[in-house]
Amino acid sequence: MDQKNIAVDVDHVVKRYGSVTALHGVTLDIREGEFFTLLGPSGCGKTTLLRCIAGFEDVSEGMIRLHGDDITPLPAHKRPVNTVFQQYALFPHMTVLDNVAFGLARRGWSARDAEGRARQVLKLVQLTDFAKRKPGQLSGGQQQRVALARALAPEPQVLLLDEPLSALDLKLRQAVRVELKQIQRETGIAFVFVTHDQEEALTMSDRIAVMSNGHVQQIGTPREIYEAPVNRFVADFIGETNLLEVDVQTVLGGRATVALPGGTVIDVPAADGAATGPGHLSVRPERITPTDGPGSVTATVDSHVYLGTDIQLHAKLDDGTPLVVRMQSSGADIPAQGTRLALDVEAGAARLLAD
Amino acid sequence: MAGAAPGGGASRSEVYRGSGPRLLLPAWIFIGVFLLLPVILMAVYSFLTKEFRGGVIWEFTFAAYDQFFLNRGLFGDEPPTIEWTYLGIFWRSIWQAGLATFFCLLIGFPTAWYVATRPVSTRSVWLFLITIPYWVNLLIRTVSMKFLLRDTGPLNEFLMWTGVIAEPLSLINTNFAVQVGLFYSYLPFMVLPIYAAVERYDFALSEAAADLYCDSWTTLRLVILPAVKPGIVAGCILVFVPSLGAFLAPDLLGGAKTFMIGSLIEEQFKGAAGNWPFGAAAAMILLTVVMGVLLIHARAQMREDG
Amino acid sequence: MKTLLTTSALALTLATAAAAEGELKIYHWFEYIPQELLDKFAEEYDVTVTMDTFDSNEALLATLKAGKLGEYDVAVPGDYMVKIMADEGMLDTFTPDEMPNFDNIEDQWVDVEFDPGRKSTIPYQWGSTSFSVNTEAYDGPLDSLSLIFEPPEELKGKINVLDTSGETLTLASLYAGIPQCTSDREQLKALNALVQGAKPAWASFGSDVAKDVLVSGDAAAGMIWSGFSAKARAEGAPIEYVFPKEGMIVWMDNVALLKDAPNRDNALKFMNFLLEPENAAAVTNYAQYTAGVEGVAEFLEPEVANSPESNPPADAKGVFVQACPEEVQVLYDAIWTNLKK
Repeated sequence: MDQKNIAVDVDHVVKRYGSVTALHGVTLDIREGEFFTLLGPSGCGKTTLLRCIAGFEDVSEGMIRLHGDDITPLPAHKRPVNTVFQQYALFPHMTVLDNVAFGLARRGWSARDAEGRARQVLKLVQLTDFAKRKPGQLSGGQQQRVALARALAPEPQVLLLDEPLSALDLKLRQAVRVELKQIQRETGIAFVFVTHDQEEALTMSDRIAVMSNGHVQQIGTPREIYEAPVNRFVADFIGETNLLEVDVQTVLGGRATVALPGGTVIDVPAADGAATGPGHLSVRPERITPTDGPGSVTATVDSHVYLGTDIQLHAKLDDGTPLVVRMQSSGADIPAQGTRLALDVEAGAARLLAD
Repeated sequence: MAGAAPGGGASRSEVYRGSGPRLLLPAWIFIGVFLLLPVILMAVYSFLTKEFRGGVIWEFTFAAYDQFFLNRGLFGDEPPTIEWTYLGIFWRSIWQAGLATFFCLLIGFPTAWYVATRPVSTRSVWLFLITIPYWVNLLIRTVSMKFLLRDTGPLNEFLMWTGVIAEPLSLINTNFAVQVGLFYSYLPFMVLPIYAAVERYDFALSEAAADLYCDSWTTLRLVILPAVKPGIVAGCILVFVPSLGAFLAPDLLGGAKTFMIGSLIEEQFKGAAGNWPFGAAAAMILLTVVMGVLLIHARAQMREDG
Repeated sequence: MKTLLTTSALALTLATAAAAEGELKIYHWFEYIPQELLDKFAEEYDVTVTMDTFDSNEALLATLKAGKLGEYDVAVPGDYMVKIMADEGMLDTFTPDEMPNFDNIEDQWVDVEFDPGRKSTIPYQWGSTSFSVNTEAYDGPLDSLSLIFEPPEELKGKINVLDTSGETLTLASLYAGIPQCTSDREQLKALNALVQGAKPAWASFGSDVAKDVLVSGDAAAGMIWSGFSAKARAEGAPIEYVFPKEGMIVWMDNVALLKDAPNRDNALKFMNFLLEPENAAAVTNYAQYTAGVEGVAEFLEPEVANSPESNPPADAKGVFVQACPEEVQVLYDAIWTNLKK
């Protein structure tokens, strides 16, 4: 990749707190104009990494570059990046306008220019009418937009967002997602977005880095992450999946032949690093379908959950492995408890993991 | 039980609304009898005619205020000019109290900041340590300070022992000693409200400021100070007001060489002067000044909050 | 101090409440009567005794004026305050036959100017107000008020003066040779100039600390009451009490029967009790002043009887502080305020 297109270059960053290591040599690139998401459960190191980029934490080892310049030794207030905080951290004693103009004034803008720019950004987030209010007089969603405006106003090279939607209620969160994505496209600024919500990550991101225990597990587009998880953690964390224990017979050129429980041998895509011997096959519930034929596996239905458009069946393979199957509800009969079902595993949609 | 919860909540607020005034009654009676009534009495006394050697005659007059503001010479037969004697005493007390407030703020703010940024478990220990001296009576503490500062006291002995000074420093009976006394007496009144404000302070605001290009000093000035201002103002009022009326430190540590507002008023009631209306008038003027300052602050605060 | 005394008196009240015949309420100076003497009286006459204290004659007057008259039975005003209180109508009278020990009063203290013939008061203690000098700090002659009002270099900045206008201005008047309660303009201006000129050499104003500053060495010279000076000496202060050639203040504190005393009989019993030589001597041994009662000598401790403070030279001159009329008093008040402004 062309070095010039890289906004943030995180190079083998290690972060230790005493004896605890929060980041184990994280390496990733964030491209210009990209919506990049750090996704993982709490404690995975995603927020620590964001704070290292912002400069709120010093890195123990490694280097962070911004457009090729090493910013590792710079304190937070000298880094041309801005942050949208989880609880917004708006200055309560200032008006909305003063909050938004704050960073501009610090960078030496004249009061008149700063106000002009602040009003322009407020227009972008549709808060023009609230310029003279104090943050305490705004709703949560409005505060969130002020925080966004404040961070965008100084035109940062990279915008860092630390779970900015987590304080909003569900309905508002969904609306803001669209808005946020739109603003990112309009401004063309690289967004680094931290979240633990996979749905948020999948719907908004250009690329996602899935993190766990201070390691990056996988970096890829939402589709790659969902459809081609590299290991059990990613497969399990993103969406719903069935992990079947299989016997890997051959691995060659990104494909493998595996024996399913019950003995049927199928040919499936394999993740890098998959090896012969016992392995795990990830199959999404919607990619398993009941069939009139012999099927690849046979399972006994335990229970079902009606989800409107879909029906979720909870079943067990003959060896006792639990299996979730999702089938469209229209027109189909719901198999009763104890029904033995022949199921087809869509070979192209299953994936052998690297464990 | 499950059904009772929402209904119960609503009726409870009804209960409070109805009984509010009744519950407040003891407080109002207390304030009325022990606060309002004495102030009214004092206001009335300040307009009465003085009786020689204490007491009042129930005849209305402005004499007390005349004496406070107008100088008619020692024998009362010169054309009136502005009387600087009492204004000077007031000014000295205000200056003294202001200085004490300043020093308390200077030391109290970092102290409060330090304590409030300790882990929660150790904060109460720090607070306890700060308040320990205040379990002892103010008089005893002031006298101890006198022991410490005198020419033959431990401080001078120590400095002479180390060879820093050859002759004892004259510390006692100086304004410096008064300042030390006031500072020591009222420091916790500065520390505690600021501590409370800093404890509530959202440190994400400091990160936000740093993120928006503020160095530490600018962050302190533009973000932290405005955010903890209510604590600072409360602390300043709590130090300034009692310092203004303080008489122990000026008397014991300053040598009582000059009147402070407190001792001037005391002299009118307990001293040879025995001029009760004048004492009442001086107290009323003091009260007016203090109320004026508080009122200006309250109005500024209200404007700021919109 | 006041709290302490009130508390112990209260404890006494509680202890004897069940048996007590009656009550006695005393309004007294601080540190001026031994607790044992109060206990003795309470036991002998089966009376519950309570005592509050004050720290100046003016404070006594102010308290009684503020509505406490009628609550106390006896108080202990100084000489000029007796006259003021009598003029204000605050004192009750008694006859000598109501008090068996009346004849114990020394002759010279019966027909006093402030209570001719002793109709309302009996002598408590008398003494003088002058000053003491630390002889380690100053070794010149000790005979003049100039040591306070025009002090030598050694004493400058090391002088404590009493924080009451009456005593300090009266000593200043004695030094300047100005009569008390003068309304002469030139004399008052001279008095004003004298104290203004002396003030820079004064380290502090303080009455209740007059002894402590001499003991601690904070002051090398200080105005003080004779008995207080003797106590300071006993506590180790290397001081000498001065009988200045210009004169000093002589004063007498008196037990006064207050008007509307709730326990008049017990008050008279108490006054009579204090005229017993043994009891008067107990006060003297405690306070180190001089009783105005005959027959005291045999009960006195030798160091009290022989203290230099209580045995002025034959040629020592003393004056009582006079109560000035209102129009003159305001002038003295103005000088005092001017001094401390």
